[in-house]
Order: sequence, then C-alpha cells, then structure tokens
Amino acid sequence: MLTPWLVGFILMWMIPMFISIYYSLTDFNLLNTPSFVGIDNYIRAFTKDKSFYQSLKVTFIYVLVLVPLRLAFALFVAMLLNKKHKGLGLYRTLYYVPSIIGGSIAVSVVWKQIFGNQGVIMSLLNAVGISQTTSLLGNTTTSLGVIILMGVWQFGSSMLIFLSALKQIPYSLYESAQVDGARPAKMFTKITLPMLTPTIFFNLILQIINGFRVFTESYIITDGGPLDSTLSYVLYLYRRAFNYFDMGYSCALAWILVAIVGIFTIVLFKTQGSWVHYEAGRE
Amino acid sequence: MNRQKKQRLRSIRFHIGACLLGFIMIYPLLWLVASSFKSNQTMFQDAYSLIPKVWDAAANYLSGFEGVGGVPFTTFLFNSVIVTAVGVVGCVTTSLFAAYAFSRIRFRFGNFWFGCVMMTMMIPAQVMVVPQYIILKKLNLIDTRISLILPWFFGGAFFIFLMVQFFQGIPRELDEAAEIDGCGRVAILFRILVPVVRPAIITSTIFAFYWIWQDFFQPLIFMSSAEKFTIPLALNMYLDPNSYNNYGGLFAMSVVSLLPVILFFILFQRYLVDGIAMDGIKG
Amino acid sequence: MSQRMKRIMAAALAGTVALSAGACKTAEPEQEEASQKVTEADLKTAAEDGDAKEVTIKIAWWGGQTRHEQTQQVLDLYSELHPNVKFVASPSGWDGYFEKLSTQTASGAMPDIVQMDYLYLTTYAKNNSVADLQEFIDNGTIDVSGIDEKLLNTGQIDDKMTGLVLSTSMLSFGYNPDVLAEAGVEEPTADWTWSDFIEMSKKVHEATGKYGPAMDTALDTNGFNYWVRQHGQSLFSEDNKSLGYTDDKICEDYFTMWNSLMEEGVLPNPDEYAQIATLGQEAGPVVTGDAAMIMEWNNYASKLSSVNDKIKMVTPPMSDDSDAKGLWMKPGMFFSVAETSQVKQEAAEFINWFINSKEANDIMMAERGTPVSSEIRDYMISSGKLGEQQKAMFEGVDEAAAICGDTPAPDPVGMSEINEAFKNAANSVYYGQATAEDAAAAFREEANSILERNNK
Repeated sequence: MLTPWLVGFILMWMIPMFISIYYSLTDFNLLNTPSFVGIDNYIRAFTKDKSFYQSLKVTFIYVLVLVPLRLAFALFVAMLLNKKHKGLGLYRTLYYVPSIIGGSIAVSVVWKQIFGNQGVIMSLLNAVGISQTTSLLGNTTTSLGVIILMGVWQFGSSMLIFLSALKQIPYSLYESAQVDGARPAKMFTKITLPMLTPTIFFNLILQIINGFRVFTESYIITDGGPLDSTLSYVLYLYRRAFNYFDMGYSCALAWILVAIVGIFTIVLFKTQGSWVHYEAGRE
Repeated sequence: MNRQKKQRLRSIRFHIGACLLGFIMIYPLLWLVASSFKSNQTMFQDAYSLIPKVWDAAANYLSGFEGVGGVPFTTFLFNSVIVTAVGVVGCVTTSLFAAYAFSRIRFRFGNFWFGCVMMTMMIPAQVMVVPQYIILKKLNLIDTRISLILPWFFGGAFFIFLMVQFFQGIPRELDEAAEIDGCGRVAILFRILVPVVRPAIITSTIFAFYWIWQDFFQPLIFMSSAEKFTIPLALNMYLDPNSYNNYGGLFAMSVVSLLPVILFFILFQRYLVDGIAMDGIKG
Repeated sequence: MSQRMKRIMAAALAGTVALSAGACKTAEPEQEEASQKVTEADLKTAAEDGDAKEVTIKIAWWGGQTRHEQTQQVLDLYSELHPNVKFVASPSGWDGYFEKLSTQTASGAMPDIVQMDYLYLTTYAKNNSVADLQEFIDNGTIDVSGIDEKLLNTGQIDDKMTGLVLSTSMLSFGYNPDVLAEAGVEEPTADWTWSDFIEMSKKVHEATGKYGPAMDTALDTNGFNYWVRQHGQSLFSEDNKSLGYTDDKICEDYFTMWNSLMEEGVLPNPDEYAQIATLGQEAGPVVTGDAAMIMEWNNYASKLSSVNDKIKMVTPPMSDDSDAKGLWMKPGMFFSVAETSQVKQEAAEFINWFINSKEANDIMMAERGTPVSSEIRDYMISSGKLGEQQKAMFEGVDEAAAICGDTPAPDPVGMSEINEAFKNAANSVYYGQATAEDAAAAFREEANSILERNNK
C-alpha cells in the first residue's frame, strides 16, 4: 500500500538528501564540479566562523522564546473560539489572515512602519516617558524581540490545529464531569489538557522545527540587521549558498541544523510517554 | 434576569476584545487593500493612511490584469489554480494513506521511514532545491507544472505527522472490531477512520492549499517560461529595485491573489466547527 | 583526515554522487532540443547557402514590468527579422534571479544568453561557465566600435571577453534644487569638493532643519571605492587576494566623515534611514523635498522623473588635496553567453543587434541604463524622444569621460560577502559600538580573509 508512495518519496526527497550530504563534504560553489574535502566544511563552521555562532545564538533565542509564547496564545484563543458565540467563523478567519499573508511586501512595509523610527510604538514609548533614541527595530538588543513578536502574531496555524483537536474531545466527557459538579478550571486540567496532549506534542515538535528554520521574518523585515542581531541560521545559510557561492559549506550548515533539530525532536519523542496521553498507545 | 444580563455583558466583552484583536491581525491586509486603491504617484506620500488621498483603483487593477511581459494575469491565475488543486488533492490523499500505514500497519523499518519523513521537514528547502532540480531535469520535468506538484505528492511530511497524531487518538479496538466484521484495510480507513479524523483532513486541506498557492522558492527555481508561472512568481516580476515600479498594479494583484486563499478558508473552516461525528464513538 | 580516508569515503559516496556529478560537468551539451544540435560549422555553411537553420535561443533577464514588456517586443521583432530564430524567454524579478541561474548552471542548463551583473560576472568567468565572446568580436559578428574601450574591457576577465556590457552608469549625486534654494545654498558644480559638500550639507540642515544628504552610506563599497581611488589607491590588490590600499586611515576617515554628519543630525543614521527606505525610492526624502542630496547612480533623476521632474545630477565631490581621478565608468549590466550553449554564433548576432541597432533601442528607450554605443546615444539624443532627465544623463556620460580614471579591474570573487563585511564595519561605527579606527581594522581583517578564501 505504501510502496508507490515510498518510491516517489525516495526519488523526490531521499536522494536529494543524500546528494546534499555529499555536497556538504565537498568544495562546491554551484558552478564548479564538487571536489571532495572530507569534513572540512564542518570543521570550518565550528572553528572559524563567527557568523555561524551568531546566527545559532539568534535562532536559539528565537525558538526558546517564541515557541512557548505562540503555543500558549494559540491555545488560549482556540479555547475562546471553541465556545458558542455569534460570528466565530469571522474571528477564526481574521486570526488566520496573518498566517496567509505571511511574507508579503505589505507585511514588510507595515511592520517596519509600526516599529520603525517614526512608528506608533516609538510614540507610545515616548508618551509613557520611556525616551528612546533608536527604534525597537533599529536597536540591536530589541530588534530580535520584534521579529519574535511577529512570530507570535502569526499564531493562526497552531490555533487551527488546536481548534480541530478541541472539536475531537467527546462532549459527553464534559457532560458527565458537569454532573459530578466539576468547575471549569478543573475540567480544563482534568479533561481538556490531557485530551489535548497529543496535539500539544504535535504543535510543539512542529513549532520547534519551524522555529529553527525561521527565514522569512528576518529576511523581509531586517535582512539580518542591525549588526547581525536578527541574522537567523537559515538566512545565513541561504546567503552562503546563493550570494556567496558556498553551496558545499551551506549544505554542511544545513546538516548541522538537522542534527540540532533532530536531537530536540528525539528527546521530545522519548519523553512523550510520561506526559502525552494517547487512546491507542504507541509502541 | 440578572444572570441573563451578566451573560450578555460577558458576550459584549468577548466581542469587543475579539474585534480589537482581529483589527491588529488584519491591519496589514487592510493596508494592502487600501494601497491597491491609491494612485501610483501618491502611493507612498500617504503611505501611512488607510484612506487614499488620490483614488486610482481602476487603473491599478486594469494594469495588474494586463500582466507582465505579454502574459495576462489570468494565465498566472489559471496556473496557480491548476497546480494548487491537483497538489492539494494529491498531497492530502497520499498523506492520509501514508499516515494510516505508519500508525496502523507494522512494516519493516517503519520507524526508520517515519524518521526520514520527519527529516524532510527539518532540512532547509534552500539546500534541497538544487538536488531536486537535478533529478527533475533527469526526468525531463523542468519547466513543467508537474515539477511543482510532484514534491507535494510525495512529501507531505507535515500532514503525515498531523494525521498520525490523530490516528493515535483513535482506540485500536475500533479497527479490530471492524476487522472481525470482515472489513479490509481500505474499508477500515475510509469507513471508520476518515470520518473520525475529518478535522485533521480539513486542517490539512486548508494548509496545503495555502502552502502550495503561495510557494515561491520551488517554482522560482523550477520554472522558466513566463506563461507557466504561478502567481507568486508573477508578482515578483513586477518589482525591480533599480527601476521605477508599478506598485499600484502589484498591490492590486496581491489582493487578487489573496482572495482565493481567504475564500477557501472561509468555506472550509465551517467544516471544522460541525465536524463532530464523535459522540457516536465512546472512547 | 588522511588522504586515504578521504579517498575511501569518496568512493563510498560515489553511488549517490553519480547522479549529481554527471549533471555538473559544465560542458555537458543540452540533449533535449534537437534543433540546438547544430555545430558552428554547420551554421556557417547554412548561412552561406542562404537558408539558415532553425535555432532556438534561451534568454534570461531580470527587471521590472516595463523591461519585461520591452524586451519581449525586442525579441519578437528580432524573430520577425530573422524567421529562423526563435526565443525561449525567462523573465524574472531581481529577487531570485541569480539563485535560479546558479541552479541551472549547476545542472548544465544555463540559458544561452543571460543578463549578468558585475557583482557575479567574475565568479561565472572563473568557473568557465560563460563563453569567451572575443572570437565574435574578432570575426566581426559583434561591432564594438561605438563602445568606450575601458568600458568594454570591464567584461574582460583572464583575457577572455566573458560579458558584453549593455549599459553604463557612474557614481553621481542627485540633488533637489528647491531644497538648496530654500536654504540659500548654491547648486553644486562639477568642481565641488568634499569640504564643499560637508559645508553645504550643514547649511541646509541649519537653515531648514531638513537632512542635507540622505542615503545609506554603508550599503555597498561603491562610494568607498571612489574615495579610495581619490587617494590614489585601489580598493583591491592586483591579485585580488587582499585589500589594495595600505593605510587604514583612509577607511577610518571615510567612516568618521559620515559618522560626524550623523551625530549632528545632518545625515540620517541607519535607524532613521531604515524607516525612510521602507517606502521605496519613489518616496525618498530627496524626491519629496525633505532632504537636499543623495549619492546614487547617474540614472537616478531619469528613473524618478515621473514622481519629481526637478531633480538634477552632478558628479560626486572632488578630493580637496589630490588630483587622483576617482570616478570610473561602471558597467551597468552585461549579456553573457553560456559556455554550454550550442548557438553561440546566433547569440552573438543577437547581442550585436541588441546593442547597435536603432530599432531595438527605439523600443527599449535606454530602460537598462545609458546605452554603451556612442552612436546610439547620439541617435537617441537627436531623435528627440528622450525626456529632459534622460538627455542630461546621456550628455553627462560624454562629459564625465574626461574626468574618469582607469576602470578598476572587475570585482573579485566574493564581492557580495565583502559588501556585507563593509556594511557591518560601517554600522558598528554608526551604532557607537566601535571606533572608526577599530572598524577600519576589522574591515581589513574580514575582507582579507574573504578575498583569500575566494581567490585562490
């Protein structure tokens, strides 16, 4: 049943992955014939490349701050929208819009406008007496914060996944709890949360993977600046591959990233037994 | 009486909060729509206002629909519709089968393959695109619409993972009972499991639609003839940092390109809401 | 890792590699298009026979809406004049153009004719991805008599003509005469100096509260290159393995000049400029009358004439104490031909027509920048179809030729990385995180290591 799909999967994904592993072991600028250099590219990343460490730092902060924030917010809004109110379809749509317009020029202009030097946020800060000389985007200590905020703003897809999971919780569970006189807070911790753990787990893994691959936000808003303070790992890898003609090295960076994300994922998979609640269980 | 009043108050509070949040969420979209009505000459002089000083909507939309380089915009629209429609159906269907296999069928190296699927999510697309290009070229598929669909047919890692998560929320006794009744695997999947995981399928469909619709990087690399371009590539052709740009036309067509995604979402999110056939199945 | 280990690992990987390595030989001919399997000898005999063979030329360029339309018209016209030539066109925006081109080249599928930027020409040339066009100049296919020799030679790398220059540009200053008048400052003339420039800028700021100049001085190294050349030195050494200037004081002074203007509020700092740049150049402060001057390419006024037709251009300031000629004719963009192309002769014929024919230039109206052929420039000025700003731009090129020095050697491999290093060094000064002296030293260290790595 799976075989035809596997063939296509091997062709479109597995072989390209192997080729990129091979590239990571070569000196390859896209225009030459790759020449084998062993693990030199990996050594170069860890020993000679300041930008590698800078982009790694930026990306780690991004992931560690963004993921919990975005998930908490997405779950909160999903719970609100799971009640019976009028116009819920409208709100769901409104909240999903940021995820749709993602990396468009409109988003880029508007975010730079709001957080820029003459933006709304600057005026607000000045009005409440926090006098700022540089804008939040132009300040090397706060620029990443703006990028993270933008990530939170795009909580729509996590919210959708939570919503569809909330729909799957049998209503009878709540009814019988109500009969037992359980309060809303208790229903949340005893029914909703445990029933949601597979989805939380899913969202967590997904957001970590996506978080480490953050590219568009720093590409369109700050282009990695000021002074590399928002230089995300994949933005750096992208520059290496295509602007600096360093594809071999870039592939090495990509596989270092896969290793890091892979470790996170495996650790999460190993711990899921202790907190993720499956009806069917997983061997 | 008092209780009713309280409830209404709560409802009003909810709607005010939800609307405020909604405004923040769609502000860039409003800006985009407003800008698409502004005349090209004054577009950026009153960039920060949502109400155009000089209206020029007709000219913007007409010039946008004229298209780029002798190709009318409707051609790009047509390409995007074809690629997205086939891509979504293919991607969601193959992912459903793959997810079923991963979660319900024991086969050799199952975990290994699942790990590989997860890995395709972790590796940055930026380094996969060159090897994929080479393979598509060997298959003589470069610059065809098939090349845009193929990777989606065989690589819906996100959807596979999502559906595997949902399948695991379904008690195995359900399949076993069906098996005793003499159902085959395909019958189990479609009669028993699909109705239950409908929210996941709808969520996947919504995401797949948006992702394929707005995909820029793969089409950019794989396609070269303008008459086969999808909308994101077409929009990119409007812009050149070193010449005078038709922003009006660009914004107008950006609005046109977002409409299908938003409409699609509005249509499908309804099924998320009343997607509960769950109560019949007691966990 | 020992050589032996490397060999073993290489062999082990060979299985996976077979797929990619074969595709990467740059000289692998295109198989799919039967019509392209024509040797040059065939073509010549065919041409002599009078019935030319059918050929398909793949051509790629980047640009905006106007360029796509005009170029398509030019291609159609050429096919009309030469019914045996068909084009497969790949228009593209600037974003992603070079990503696609390098991927295509990596798999041996580079289009026959590609629009090429100076930034990347050397990289393509050094990897033998682009053909030597000298033979087509020698055999008279491409007529270069109207092109300034220095400019033509910018395409020459390792004694090969790797790209034929299509347009030329020069570093210039654009200014808004209204703002200068408002501040009671006289308009600059070609003999102005850097100290004139600073004095004028400050006057504008004091009198009107507006910015004097408004631009990103850390964007790339072009302005700095001009500055270095005015000091009688060059930005890069002859072997491209290190910076060419020896005294870091040159770089330090450059940073200091801009930084002190920023501190006085005369020039927007990077943060302020980021906000300005959000709105695109169509709403730049010089256009809207909120700043007096900008360092830009000489097509600035002509490009923006539809939003403000008053902007004028002047050559950049002269050095206060040196006669060294800083200015140079910068190639705008090139047409290069793929080394793998099977239709080089036809491609060369088209390029010749593109550069030298009146009918092609009548359609394009110098949208790619000032045409390189002096005959075409004269023709277009006399044809009366040019706008005021375009005419001034064309005439400016001939005038500036007198004050232009030697054209520097083509940019070294790794140029975009150098630009990034320069941007970071300059911004570290502007953000007060480093002194100009330290930043100059840091830039040298960074640049030298990039150059060394890329230009072995």
